[in-house]
Amino acid sequence: MDKLIVSPSPHLHTKTSTKSLMRDVVIALIPAVVVSVLFYGWSELLVLGVSVASCLLLEYLITKYLLKTSCTLGDWSAVITGVLLALNLPATTPWWVVFIGAVVAIGIAKMTFGGLGQNLFNPALVGRVFLLISFPTYMTDWAKPQGFITNSIVDAYSGATPLGIAKGLGPQGVEAMDYLNMLFLNIGGSAGELSAIALLLGFAYLLIRKVIKPYITLSIIGTVAVFSGIFYLANPAEYTDPLFNILSGGLLLGAIFMATDYVTSPMSKWGGVVFGVGIGVITMLIRYFGAYPEGVSFAILIMNSVVPLLNKWFHTKKYGR
Amino acid sequence: MMKTFSIGGIHPSDKKISKDCKIEVLPVPSKVFISVAQHLGAPATPVVKAGDQVKVGQVIAEPAGFISAYVHSSVSGTVKSVGPRKDIAGNNVVHIEIDVEGDEWVEGVDLSDTLVTEIPQDNKAILDKIKMCGVVGLGGATFPAHVKLCPPPGKKADCLILNGAECEPYLTSDYRIMLERSKEIVIGAAIMKQVLGGCPAVIGIEENKPEAIKAMKAALAELQAAAKGYEGISVMSLKKKYPQGGEKQLIDAVMKRQVKSMGLPIDVGAVVQNVATSLAVYEAVQKNKPLITNTLTVTGDCLPLEKQHNYLFRIGMPLSYIAEYAGGVPEEAAKIISGGPMMGKAIANLDATTVKGSSSLLYLTAEQTVRGVESACIRCGKCAEACPMGLEPFLLQKYARNSMMDELEENAIQDCIECGCCLYSCPANIPLLDIIRIAKGDVIKIIRGRAIKN
Repeated sequence: MDKLIVSPSPHLHTKTSTKSLMRDVVIALIPAVVVSVLFYGWSELLVLGVSVASCLLLEYLITKYLLKTSCTLGDWSAVITGVLLALNLPATTPWWVVFIGAVVAIGIAKMTFGGLGQNLFNPALVGRVFLLISFPTYMTDWAKPQGFITNSIVDAYSGATPLGIAKGLGPQGVEAMDYLNMLFLNIGGSAGELSAIALLLGFAYLLIRKVIKPYITLSIIGTVAVFSGIFYLANPAEYTDPLFNILSGGLLLGAIFMATDYVTSPMSKWGGVVFGVGIGVITMLIRYFGAYPEGVSFAILIMNSVVPLLNKWFHTKKYGR
Repeated sequence: MMKTFSIGGIHPSDKKISKDCKIEVLPVPSKVFISVAQHLGAPATPVVKAGDQVKVGQVIAEPAGFISAYVHSSVSGTVKSVGPRKDIAGNNVVHIEIDVEGDEWVEGVDLSDTLVTEIPQDNKAILDKIKMCGVVGLGGATFPAHVKLCPPPGKKADCLILNGAECEPYLTSDYRIMLERSKEIVIGAAIMKQVLGGCPAVIGIEENKPEAIKAMKAALAELQAAAKGYEGISVMSLKKKYPQGGEKQLIDAVMKRQVKSMGLPIDVGAVVQNVATSLAVYEAVQKNKPLITNTLTVTGDCLPLEKQHNYLFRIGMPLSYIAEYAGGVPEEAAKIISGGPMMGKAIANLDATTVKGSSSLLYLTAEQTVRGVESACIRCGKCAEACPMGLEPFLLQKYARNSMMDELEENAIQDCIECGCCLYSCPANIPLLDIIRIAKGDVIKIIRGRAIKN
């Protein structure tokens, strides 16, 4: 009573904090993590463990000894980078390659720019793309390690991703694939690409908890559907169909968890829609006409660089103006 | 679809702990201090001096400009002194100190409970009464009511909106008067509507107050059946969303019109008055009673239910007197707010006195109100999503920290209504509104300066 606080309004504050938002993203990733560990076993656990531990350690060391600022591990953002990096790698990736990925993700893509909130590019994707270019053999080795449970579909196709097969053989190569199976369990690929259902569960959680708005994710998926739809209708012998393109590769992982990263996506709704359309178009251009079978990572990184422009062009609708 | 404003808004806690506490009349203390600055605009000029005898309802200060208001004595007794005293923020303001003796009212005030439903026909006389009784807007801004009710030449009122939204958490004074003084409020609305040329009147109430909606509808139906002059008034329930009671937001919700930047509501044909103002208009016009009383809520999570109150107070009562009467300031109170938790002012000085616009003594605990440590902006955009004016607080605070005045004006910082949605929503605890509020003042000074030069 003798010491009353006097401060300007408002006097109440939401319970949502940076920490709670980031923790929600980690929770939303749990289904995908569980599926990947079940099917890829100990090797996937090792990749996950090394990735998360390295990201945390590197952020701690950099804040403490290089930047000499307060410790930022409590905001959970390094955990997200660690999990996302792991989900973007094959389960067979050697631990030291994973560590190099973490160095690039946290050290170069995040902390060099000033840490959380300052980075221009999605840290986990920078890490992944760096590894893809530097260690192509490890990064495209889809040999299936021993999982905790076995599945005949996965085992039958191990060794190649659906997109890889389509790139080599054309649509005929993937004709035999059952989309219902793909929805629940993809066949070969990065850990995070395994199950569309697991990723969609995470998406639903993020929407319910109001962590993200749906428009970036939906505009990416919509663009991919329209783009591949046009090509498929024009020439089904040459181009894969829309559903295949949505369910395969890292599209859902990217659209739900990577493109919606607050820091590296536009602030406004329409900026977000344009951002999503750009990612969708670039992804499909790479898939149909590029050298790589998969293009989501490149597409997101390219569109990340356009975000400052989108923020300049698109603003919210102001009252009475 | 229930109506609400179209841009932004937030959903803070829906707490209205004191909603079932009937309005109680506070006894008059032995001494009151009446401020001469209880309204927006120029402080009134005192017309009494130490030693003068005054009665309840007697004018003790006169308006000192077009935007100013009369101040009346709320008690009878002897003027002890006229001089500076600290207000709730700790600033010195001229107060008139009166030693209370008895309770003798000036002549002509109707103190009976009889409801006067017949509305006088002379609009000029009505406006004069509203002005002479010192009626000001009681929704927060305390803008002199008669000024708002006289649209400038060339402007016409298309709709009178009565603000019964009470969108701030905890406050229940408007809710209580809507239940207990429903008819008086409707009569006040009918009077104001007639003065404005007979435009329709809408009483906007948020859906979380169904009892108030019911009471107001019943009062309206009864008056429409019994007397003339009540047609064209309606009750509208609004979706619960803060800041529904903001003038610009309410106009958007009710009329689907938006006031231009730096414009006035009357530019789009709207006049907004609070339900408490409507009650004051009724008392002034029908009962000759000047604005010397209002309703105030004493509440907070740290108060037991029996210590929650809605009081009818007289202006000039020290807040400390009310707090003591209500059972004392709770131990856990870390901050006391006058007004709602979103836009109210933290009280620096509990010896300050009540003014016409006082609406609450709200006790907040440290846990509720102490802000978290500021961290880096994660560009989540939640502040822009929440802003009911469609501004981008993340951008404004960056420009403000770098004193980029042109960019601030381009991005409409002058339109900020200081509702606090941005700061409330920020997960990184960035003091968005603190920074924006200061910069907004500077930008408005620049805009005004330019207008004078041209």
